[in-house]
Amino acid sequence: MDDLELNALWKEYDRKLEESRVLNLQAWAVQRQTFEWLQTQKVRSRLRPMGVFKGWAVFLGVIWVLFLGLLAGGDHGKHPWFTGSIGIIFLFNVFAIVAYIRQMALIRQIDYTDNIVETQEKLAALQASTLRTTRIMFLQTPFFSTWFWNERFIAGSGLAFWAIAVPIVLLLALGALWFYRNITLANANKKWFRRLFNGIEWSPILRAMEYLKEIEDFRGR
Amino acid sequence: MQEQFLQQIEANKGILFKISRSFCQGRADQEDLRQEMLLRLWKGLPRYDPAYAFTTWMYRVALNVAISWQRQEKRNSGRIPFVDGHGEMADGPDGTHQDRYPLEDQHSPMILLQKHVAALKELEKALMLLYFEEKSYREIAEIMGITETNVATKVSRIKEKLKQAILNDKNLVYGRS
Repeated sequence: MDDLELNALWKEYDRKLEESRVLNLQAWAVQRQTFEWLQTQKVRSRLRPMGVFKGWAVFLGVIWVLFLGLLAGGDHGKHPWFTGSIGIIFLFNVFAIVAYIRQMALIRQIDYTDNIVETQEKLAALQASTLRTTRIMFLQTPFFSTWFWNERFIAGSGLAFWAIAVPIVLLLALGALWFYRNITLANANKKWFRRLFNGIEWSPILRAMEYLKEIEDFRGR
Repeated sequence: MQEQFLQQIEANKGILFKISRSFCQGRADQEDLRQEMLLRLWKGLPRYDPAYAFTTWMYRVALNVAISWQRQEKRNSGRIPFVDGHGEMADGPDGTHQDRYPLEDQHSPMILLQKHVAALKELEKALMLLYFEEKSYREIAEIMGITETNVATKVSRIKEKLKQAILNDKNLVYGRS
């Protein structure tokens, strides 16, 4: 089977379709629809990569941040460990919300008139960027184990504070740093990574990461 | 501008039909995809550079939309469009065309080529569509955003892959009968 034959097979299929007059029969509909869209200006794109996931994440994030803000603000600084820990968690979540909103805006601004590899790379990178935000969010973990600390707890726990509470915080801090450093594209195929991000909401992000690799291969870098 | 745009689209509507056919199965999905392509073409019109041919720009936008669409919808994995007894696009019950075609037609090289092109990865499929539409390597390189040398290498590799896949399928059928 030579090259000519493949091309001939392709053309043969095209010819059969042309013969069936599918294009001509449907052409009027295409034009009419186009006119309607242009006139109403109510056209909405159905291409919203990751929009739903990020949209929900922002919605829930805002509720969570409001709750944290009320907690931290309501304390009026009476309990520094509480206010400090909740305040830091609050800031991490505000960062995530802003990052998600920015990513959503950038995805909507993608220029489909650029060349294919560049456009697809931008889209995939933006979709995969959720993971970058997630790894930063891991850094807030230790503060979930310090919000209930206070002077009475520290003084009253004695040795147990240093033997249990502090090591837990250190362990969480080390774990958070490890995840921050290791949640990368390079580790996407590792078992722990797949297990950690095993869920319907993560599959498009993992697919986007795989797609980035595919694009890189396609480019022949 | 609107009138001119529509005239250009009308003159080149085959591009949209061919791309939607390769990336989508089912008439409704194909129509939806074409609507999306038209929308993106219209919105992208202010950025059209007349230094390039209108069809080059059209291929670029339409293929970008089709690839994104397929990645989003994930409706087409392993399924291909085909022509029914009246020459119209139709859906198969499971992506095959056994209900519509006699065995020899299902496994005709023409249908097998369509099947294997549809099963290619999105970027490879876009590349081969352009190749089969007889675009020059230079134009393909411009549309895809890779070098001409890379285009030539990839086209040659994918063609080999397609030929091998078609031959394997044919041998399989020959063995069965």
